[in-house]
Amino acid sequence: RATEGGGARRSHSQCPWAAARAAGLELAGGMAAAAAAAAAATGAGEAVTGEAATGQSMGKSSVQSIFFSLDYGPAPESPSTALAWLETQGPNLGHFVNGKWLKPDGQGTITCRDPSSGEFLANCFQAKNEDVALAVDVAKRTFEEWSQLSGATRAQHLIRLADAIHKHQKLLWTLESLASGRVVREIRDGDIPLAHQLLQYYACWAQTQEQALSGWQPIGVAVIVLPPTFSFIEMMWRVSPALAVGESGLAREPLGPGWGCLTPTTTTLPASWVIRSPHPTLLSSHWDGEPPEELEGPAGMGSPPRSSRLQPPSSVQVFQVGNASQKSPFFPPTLVLGLAPASPCTQREVPWPVVVISPFRTAKEALAMINGTPRGGNASVWSERITLALDLAYGVRMGTVWINSHGLKDAVAPVGGCKETGSSWHGGPDGLYEYLWPAGLLPRPVALPEAMDYNKFGLSAPPVLPSGPDTSPPSQTAPYGIFLAGRFQNPSSRSSRPILGSSGTVYAHVAEGGAKDIRTAVEAAHQAAALWVSQAPGKRVSMLWALADALSQRSQVLAEQLTEVMGVGITEAQTEVMLSIARLRAWGARVHAQGAGLHSAGHQGPFLRLREPLGVLAIICPEEWPLLAFVSLLSPALAHGNAVVMVPSGACPLPALQFCQDVASLLPPGLVNVVPGDRDHLTRCLALHQDVPALWYFGSAQGSQFVEWASAGNLKAIWVNGGQSRSWDQEPEGAGPELCLRAARTKTLWLSLGDI
Amino acid sequence: MAPQNQGTELDLTWISEVQVNQPAVLRRAEQIQTRRTMKKDWQAAWLLKAVTFIDLTTLSGDDTSSNVQRLCYKAKYPIQEDLLKALDMQDIGITTAAVCVYPARVCDAVKALKDVGCKIPVASVATGFPAGQTHLKTRLEEIRLAVEDGAKEIDVVINRSLVLTGQWEVLYDEIRQFRKACGNAHLKTILATGELGSLTNVYKASMIAMMAGSDFIKTSTGKEAVNATFPVAIVMVRAIRDFFWKTGKKIGFKPAGGIRTAKDSLAWLSLIKEELGDEWLKPELFRIGASTLLSDIERQIYHHVTGRYAAYHDLPMA
Repeated sequence: RATEGGGARRSHSQCPWAAARAAGLELAGGMAAAAAAAAAATGAGEAVTGEAATGQSMGKSSVQSIFFSLDYGPAPESPSTALAWLETQGPNLGHFVNGKWLKPDGQGTITCRDPSSGEFLANCFQAKNEDVALAVDVAKRTFEEWSQLSGATRAQHLIRLADAIHKHQKLLWTLESLASGRVVREIRDGDIPLAHQLLQYYACWAQTQEQALSGWQPIGVAVIVLPPTFSFIEMMWRVSPALAVGESGLAREPLGPGWGCLTPTTTTLPASWVIRSPHPTLLSSHWDGEPPEELEGPAGMGSPPRSSRLQPPSSVQVFQVGNASQKSPFFPPTLVLGLAPASPCTQREVPWPVVVISPFRTAKEALAMINGTPRGGNASVWSERITLALDLAYGVRMGTVWINSHGLKDAVAPVGGCKETGSSWHGGPDGLYEYLWPAGLLPRPVALPEAMDYNKFGLSAPPVLPSGPDTSPPSQTAPYGIFLAGRFQNPSSRSSRPILGSSGTVYAHVAEGGAKDIRTAVEAAHQAAALWVSQAPGKRVSMLWALADALSQRSQVLAEQLTEVMGVGITEAQTEVMLSIARLRAWGARVHAQGAGLHSAGHQGPFLRLREPLGVLAIICPEEWPLLAFVSLLSPALAHGNAVVMVPSGACPLPALQFCQDVASLLPPGLVNVVPGDRDHLTRCLALHQDVPALWYFGSAQGSQFVEWASAGNLKAIWVNGGQSRSWDQEPEGAGPELCLRAARTKTLWLSLGDI
Repeated sequence: MAPQNQGTELDLTWISEVQVNQPAVLRRAEQIQTRRTMKKDWQAAWLLKAVTFIDLTTLSGDDTSSNVQRLCYKAKYPIQEDLLKALDMQDIGITTAAVCVYPARVCDAVKALKDVGCKIPVASVATGFPAGQTHLKTRLEEIRLAVEDGAKEIDVVINRSLVLTGQWEVLYDEIRQFRKACGNAHLKTILATGELGSLTNVYKASMIAMMAGSDFIKTSTGKEAVNATFPVAIVMVRAIRDFFWKTGKKIGFKPAGGIRTAKDSLAWLSLIKEELGDEWLKPELFRIGASTLLSDIERQIYHHVTGRYAAYHDLPMA
């Protein structure tokens, strides 16, 4: 899963205009934003950087001249603490492994410089394979001990770490400011307290881990790869929860303040944006470097090219603060007006400090414009009308939405996103689940990806021939066709696939689905999804329960089919049917009871942690448990408000199709679509479909690998089994909290509060 | 002094749509106090500048001619001569911006200032200060008498009940009459923001006061439970900014009450610089109403010059 790209392009704000850093979008125009004092952050910045102190000698300016000019003097935030610490490390910063600084001989180094002055800070080693291997070994060994500690003990360790940050904060902020070029106050007043808070928050989770996270276990050794521009706090967002749940970690950062462990050998990370504006009315941007390899393949398949120069049309107005020097690595705060939604500048994620303002006629149009961009990180909605503000906040497809505020952060509030922002999370409980695995399930084996030809996988379905007459008794004849948009339709291939019974003879024929059927199914699902979301949760529950009742009417036929095709005993088959019915009932009720949570984030006001549907969810069901696995996956998906396109078990798609007869009569058309056929081919079609925001894959290891590869291009949220089977009849694996987590997306909705 | 604000016609559309985002204002207020630091020479220069903005104030029941006289002397010589010499600032003629007294002490103040050869104006509070709960007729008479006694600036308090009940037209008319009663004296309108209920009301009252012809808008009397705070100031200076954009008229701002430390005064100066710009950093457009602030500033200057913290007896009492 990809991390969010936006964060990587952190601007260095020496710019005196913090407001323009708003990365998201602000709705201006129709809604009257608070006129007088809306802008929380329009204040001027200050230049309290370390280098400022060295700039001007203090004695020269006499009191008299300052008295008349009233200039700001240099704020002498001395970098001496940071420099002194770097001094103790010698010119070379080692790898931090096993509590020690390792400085292996004969390794190349990268020079880290102060980005604002270009002055030398330190050299960092370029790690080689053996350094990484050593670090992994150490981490593995440490994991054995660390994960065995009680939650309470781990909590104490985290608190001690938090205290250490508190005690040495000056060193941290000066070093971070030197290395990143960001102003001291951002780090001193923002990052450091937040890092402290994060450790405290996750220490609380660790403390109550045995009860609160009883269904989960740590993944093991977590590797956290941070792009070069990521800061100390970005690492803390990820490291704190990992440590809390008992992971041992590796992080890598070019020059971390005492934390960086490994330095990159080759850069396989999204390149940073560099924007230069030689002329005040011309804004251009381009990728500084090649897109990473893993993005290249899928990106070449129909998605827009990622490397281009943007040049806005002449009607566009660009306002910039101060003089944009060609030499400066910093980009001035910029306001762009008059960009059409179709302009590449609007479509592309532009790093702050750039704000694009577009007019809109109605709130509905505003919503369409926002949701029409590939970005899914954060947005702020400004309106004094609470009804309008909430409506928009709910409708915007973003990870975080602030009402009448922007940029609020808290350790308790999850941060993540959807669409091209990626679906990884940090902060809050969601940040924790990134490092957890359902208890009882073996962790996915860590293996290097096999060499496979991604361009060939499932490219076309092999031809299938009828190999004998159907032997299924008339009472058990499954409906024929692809279940699309609420009815059985002829497959676009106009051919069928034989399903063999356990005795080896052809039991039945099912329709052979293909790319066009997938396309139709996704379209139908999108139409149905919009309506399904707007249903009251109670209504959704009653529909699922009605479906459960209908299923129990069919239990006899289904059990017999399972026996005939899968060769299981009648008792087992009956159990599978009974469990399936139970799943439908349980998920409906569970999701209805769950609701949304209102959390408090100190003086910043409360926020809602909403669980929103993913939209259209593609599910490739496992081969085993043809009915139970199908229903176990379908139920949480529907209960959370998704529409689904499902590929049933290849060996026995009959019960799923049988079940669709009830779906046809009970659920709105298009909500559930079932496409039987060649699983690899259908997986390929779904994985590469840009308009399928989420995909669950339960099949081969190779298929999982393909899905992961494909999702690197369109950044859909994926869940793959890596070729491992699950006990679908067991509660934690077949109906555990993991499904709940995967079936919906979190949205953090900040509610601004206070007028008294 | 800047030309008097003759005011504008009452235009209620300037205030009817306004909503103040309070959480945002609070965050901004928090930031503004920590973002700028002035050190060394800059601190000294800024502090001396702050002195020139002070309306040196005494508003007590036990004020007599003797302490008003002392106050006026201090207004003329706010910082010890030797300290100023050390900073090469002795020739600038640093005085406070004005002295501010009750109407009954205006004569004393005018005389005392004349005696020490100081040309700074005397400001008088008026209109039933601090509550404003007296008849309009006596409030207006109070202004006229203070002006007759020689006050060049009149700090009037508004009738808070008019704000709380939304009678903006009446409030406008009252301030309009204050303006007229002031004649050539400057009108400084105290909003008593601690008693207005909400920041949105603060904005609206600021706008009305400016439309009605105030030369300054002032936060508080110093007698309310809550006095000059940064959130209130942000709202008021944004109103000043809006008024300037609409009319081209620059209206002054005066925080008063609770500003006691040198550090506070620097934060206030920085707020004005950030929100309104350098143009507002002059006594014609910015004042600080304070009584004890000056001694803390002098203490800091002493430290800057000597490198030592002053004992109580090192600095003369005001």
